[in-house]
Amino acid sequence: MSPIENGPRDDGLPEDPQDMKLMIHALVDGELDAAAALAVERRIAADPELAAEHARIVALQTAVASLPRPAVSGDFLARIAAIADVSRAGETEAADAEAEKAARRSSAQPQPQRKVVEMRPTARAMARRFGSFGWRQMAASIVLTAFLASGATQWLMVENAPGSFAVAVANGHRRSLLAASPVDIVSSDRHTVKPWLDGRIGVSPPAPDMAKDGYALLGGRVEVIGDKPMPALVYRHHEHLITLVAAPRQNDVKSVPVADDLSAGGFLLVHWTDGAFSYWAISDAERPALDDFVARFRAAAAANPAAGSPG
Amino acid sequence: MLAARFAEVVLPHLSDALSLARWLTGNASDAEDVVQEACLKAHAGIAGFAGGNPRAWLLTIVRNASYTWLARNRPRGVVAVGDLADLDDVSPPPDNSDSPEAALIAKANSAAIEAAIARLPEAFRETLVLRDINGLSYREIAAMLGVPQGTVMSRLARARGLLMTELGGRP
Repeated sequence: MSPIENGPRDDGLPEDPQDMKLMIHALVDGELDAAAALAVERRIAADPELAAEHARIVALQTAVASLPRPAVSGDFLARIAAIADVSRAGETEAADAEAEKAARRSSAQPQPQRKVVEMRPTARAMARRFGSFGWRQMAASIVLTAFLASGATQWLMVENAPGSFAVAVANGHRRSLLAASPVDIVSSDRHTVKPWLDGRIGVSPPAPDMAKDGYALLGGRVEVIGDKPMPALVYRHHEHLITLVAAPRQNDVKSVPVADDLSAGGFLLVHWTDGAFSYWAISDAERPALDDFVARFRAAAAANPAAGSPG
Repeated sequence: MLAARFAEVVLPHLSDALSLARWLTGNASDAEDVVQEACLKAHAGIAGFAGGNPRAWLLTIVRNASYTWLARNRPRGVVAVGDLADLDDVSPPPDNSDSPEAALIAKANSAAIEAAIARLPEAFRETLVLRDINGLSYREIAAMLGVPQGTVMSRLARARGLLMTELGGRP
């Protein structure tokens, strides 16, 4: 090696070998910006030692990510979901007890009646608790019904409004995470997924398997958004699921050639359109991972447009 | 409305919460107790969740609940803060970059990987699990642990180094 090759490189990366290894970890973790990633990839390409380290880290990360995940049992989910309701009932009871105490302090009742007064709070608190609980539930259901009704009206009036569509996509994604399986047809082969979707609803988007890029096609399902069934593909990226809803484009749908970053219901969303479909990608993955998925999916779909049929 | 927010922010991330608690407490049934406790706290504090990554927010609570639980149930097992600082000073592992260990690592079975993770020192295990199992970013982990990002990076590299050495079949 000539001294020039051996000397400090002009790529802004650390010269210390240990620090350089941290950069490889950061590359694998998707923590580097494009410029730094490019510089690290160049170093790896030029140095078999770094390449071996990179391969080990990738192998380890894949192995760790594929460990079985703890299942959230239905029982456990119910217990956790009940927390919200139980503690609300608890608050009511506490408030009742406070009110009783205050009432007792203010009422200067003679001693003999004390016992009766003391008997009452429990019964009254209980009655009030159940009464108010029922009342609350009823109120909640009225509010919910009103919400659903207004939501439905809004659907009819502003069909394809991006906000409500995003929320519907988010709800579908959340449901799929809680369901026994996030997909209705399990297959990593688009030649299986696409005919299945075509047969069900007569529409199937491009479904490239991008396993080599770290996004494995798990399968597909049908989402019903508004009153329309729509194809949804499910990809796995490390431990995260990405749902991709592809709505066949109508003429009146606004064109979104550049991916639009959104969020709904605690999830991140990316929305874009191409000639045939209006796409919504949603995931609990990090924004960079989701953006990377979208970029790769768009590239794969553009490379093989015949793979999609707008029905 | 708080109940709806709870369902939105907490419920989707229960599996992540269970994995973190399982790796911090060491077993799955304790993990359920810890996560339930954490969810009670999360519910009480849901109004304080100001956006950002809900998973990172919940996992921060789960981590605290795990250590509270460990201190109460296994006082001797807890690693003191002083030990953490010492761990960061440990010199890096010997350079072992001349073999096709990647293939061996890729072939390692789940039980071997889990056992190797369980043997990692606490601070390394926690960082590895938060990154490679829970999928948090360096910045989120640094914020959660209250350490600089550089410390997260070196702990992660050390944790992975130990696992690679063990699973790659080196003495």
